Amino acid sequence: MSRKPWFNTYLNLPLRRKFILSFLVVICLGGILTLTLGTRLEHRTIFNLAQSKVRHDLASAWMVYHEKLNDIRDIVRSNVLRESLQHLIVIDDRETLFKYLERVNKDFGLDVLTLTDATGKVLIRSAQSAPWGDDRSQDPLVARAIKGETVAATHIIPMKELIKENKALADQVYLKIIPTPKSAPTAEEYIEDGMMLMAAAPIYNEEQTLLGCLYGGILLNQNYEIVDRVKDIVFKGEKYQGREIGSATIFQYDLRISTNVKREDGGRAIGTRVSQEVKQAVLQEGKPWIDRAFVVNEWYITAYEPIKNVNEEIVGILYVGMLEKPYIDLRNKVMLTFTGVAIVCVIILLVVLSFITSSIIRPLQDMVKATNKIARGDLNHRVGIEFQDEVGQLAQSFNSMTDELKKANAKLVQWGKTLEKRVEQRTQELQNMQNYMIQSEKMASLGKMAAGVAHEINNPLTSILINAHLLMEKTDKNSSPYESLNLIAEETTRCSDIVKGLLEFSRQSPPQKNLVNINHIISHIISILENQMGFQNITIQKKLGENLPAIEVDENKIKQVFWNLMINAGEAMPEGGLLIITSRISSTQQNLEIAFKDTGVGIKKENMSKLFDPFFTTKSGGTGLGLAVIYGIVQQHGGKIDVQSEVSKGSTFIISLPLQSTG
Amino acid sequence: MTDNDKKKILVVDDEINVCKSIRQAILAETHEVDMALSGEEALGLDEENNYDMVITDLMMPGISGVDLLTSLKAARPGIIVIMVTGYPTIKTAVQSIKIGAFDYIPKPFTPDELRGLVARAFREADSKKASEEVEPPLLPKGLFLMQGHAWLRREKENLVTIGAVYELLRNIENITEIALIPENKYVFQGEACARITDIKGHVHRIWSPATGRVSMTNRDVIKDLDLVKKDPYGKGWLLKIEATDLAKDLQDLTSS
Repeated sequence: MSRKPWFNTYLNLPLRRKFILSFLVVICLGGILTLTLGTRLEHRTIFNLAQSKVRHDLASAWMVYHEKLNDIRDIVRSNVLRESLQHLIVIDDRETLFKYLERVNKDFGLDVLTLTDATGKVLIRSAQSAPWGDDRSQDPLVARAIKGETVAATHIIPMKELIKENKALADQVYLKIIPTPKSAPTAEEYIEDGMMLMAAAPIYNEEQTLLGCLYGGILLNQNYEIVDRVKDIVFKGEKYQGREIGSATIFQYDLRISTNVKREDGGRAIGTRVSQEVKQAVLQEGKPWIDRAFVVNEWYITAYEPIKNVNEEIVGILYVGMLEKPYIDLRNKVMLTFTGVAIVCVIILLVVLSFITSSIIRPLQDMVKATNKIARGDLNHRVGIEFQDEVGQLAQSFNSMTDELKKANAKLVQWGKTLEKRVEQRTQELQNMQNYMIQSEKMASLGKMAAGVAHEINNPLTSILINAHLLMEKTDKNSSPYESLNLIAEETTRCSDIVKGLLEFSRQSPPQKNLVNINHIISHIISILENQMGFQNITIQKKLGENLPAIEVDENKIKQVFWNLMINAGEAMPEGGLLIITSRISSTQQNLEIAFKDTGVGIKKENMSKLFDPFFTTKSGGTGLGLAVIYGIVQQHGGKIDVQSEVSKGSTFIISLPLQSTG
Repeated sequence: MTDNDKKKILVVDDEINVCKSIRQAILAETHEVDMALSGEEALGLDEENNYDMVITDLMMPGISGVDLLTSLKAARPGIIVIMVTGYPTIKTAVQSIKIGAFDYIPKPFTPDELRGLVARAFREADSKKASEEVEPPLLPKGLFLMQGHAWLRREKENLVTIGAVYELLRNIENITEIALIPENKYVFQGEACARITDIKGHVHRIWSPATGRVSMTNRDVIKDLDLVKKDPYGKGWLLKIEATDLAKDLQDLTSS
């Protein structure tokens, strides 16, 4: 799996930075997305709000507009129903009629009020010295009125007609066209027509004969009554940064003829024209226009709808608009607030995040430190556990792992220490084993030898035994020679027993054990030895322990052991000396110890290791079997022999026999 | 007593001192004792003298004791042969009884032991000549015998009862003492397990037919010295032994 280099860089960052960077990226992405979507949404919401408001305002403007138109229709209608007027027409009293019209005109503030006959010829006009007798039947309103219909509508009236009606109105229509950046180009510099709200109604006599028609109206050009009224009613004169927030305009075609949109110099922006796109949509396509629009020199949220004449032809536009700026400002303010809050939130989040990551990372850092310490050998170090979360559990596991490690380490150290001891012990055991093997080998050869020799020894023993007995038969039983002969006979028998013992040993015969009192055996042997020549100058001292338990041994074999040791001791002291025989319970309470201590010549160090070897002897004429046999017998009894010796001071042989027989 | 009535005995041993000692031990008015230092010499002397008894060592250079026994018995089945043996050949000694030796005696021995054996052997020969004067006790079946010497009965597993056979006992006059090997002692096949002394002071050793540890001794026979002769296969038993290698021991015994 291949990774991009920047991603590797990211992965290698310290945990804290990784955390914060990740969060930052997420927050930034989220923030930008939210901000973008929010702006869009908010813009649309505010704009929709403004649009619906402006639509509503336009409806209100239409109400004002139609109200004015209805006023005019009502005035006209109410007058045609008057009998006095009918009468005056019938009697053709022109002077009175003029006064009548002049008064009505004056009372209701109409710009035009004209009376025609049934054919549409003008009978009289309310204006001073206005012409009469001209035919107005071509006028769409008049034409319909003389057909018996009462109509009211917006009406474009050509300048020449207007002048006929009321010369004073010509000035009011006259308006220089001012070019504006977005308006459609035009060749005209002035407009030629006026736009009026006009109503016409037929006049009948009592017999319902058409007498004529009455029509009247007001000129809209530079007449600000409607637009200002709209402004007052709809926008209540609110201002934003010194500017009127709302405005209304009546267009004659695309030209502003009545407005409260202000020019930069403060004057009303009449004479200016609608923008190209609005003109296209409203005037030419007859659609309402609700959108942002550049009005004069400001952006407005605007609503335009076409004004139609009596023949449903588009003759102008009614407009209401609100300054876009307050909404833009509102939007910007909201956006700023939103962004500000977002930034504050991010900062707060970062602080919180930093705190959280610290609390997560610190134990981890501690753990890293602890691992390093432990790696350097400080097994006593522990990680502090603050909480029971995953990191806490990890720390806990880590601590218990360290505990185990410490135990294992301690064990290893212990092992290292005991290993040396064990090696020493084992070496000693091996040495012992080897010695034992060597000794066993020697014993086996001894057995073979004994078997071979036994036959030969038995022959002289037979002769001795027979002859001793024969002599005893010829001797007085109470005499000294008899006793000597008896000793010869007994000892000969013992010799044969020894041979037998050797042979038994060679045949691996088990010792014939009985419970034996060791002290009795010792005493018995001493009683015999004391009388011997070799022991004449030797003092035998008994230090026999009292109440020693009888132990299970092969009496003959043990006798042989003691016998041999005592004879050896005697031979070690040719000039005489002291033989101390001690019996006691060992310090371990496990063994019976019998010690034979002499004050003889002692044993040389180099001979100590060969002492129990078969046929090893320092005596002239010795067989070298004595100690070897002893060694075998003691081993057979599960005991051991210790020797301590110093040249010319003496030797001590200590036999240890188990109190509890093993076999 | 004339020379013709004297019993003629030949002692055979390759060691002259042993021969002399044995001769000294058994020399009496009733006996005439010759000596031979080899089997060949012995056979030569026997042809001349027709000995009543030959006491021969088992281990000799040239003709061995067993060869000599076989030859003598082949020539004159009535001849009494007593085997003398050193310890290592006790096995051969036991076997030689099977072949026809009267008994054997291990070295070293006392004059009384040898005299007892010799006397017993002659009494046996005499009683055979005089035929049966007394009805011998019936030999029960299921016993294992060391011919003319001891019997063994298997009790359970390795426990065996040991006693002396009537043929041996009837040749011992007036028993004055019976000594048994003590309990818990270890005894080998062919070794003495009991010692019977007669009024003449002759000592008769009973060879153990099995190897093992003595588990019980029969005190009744020590108290009532006639018991062994009265009921040798019943109440007159001597020892009970916990045998250690019974199967091997039985190979050298005969079944009744």
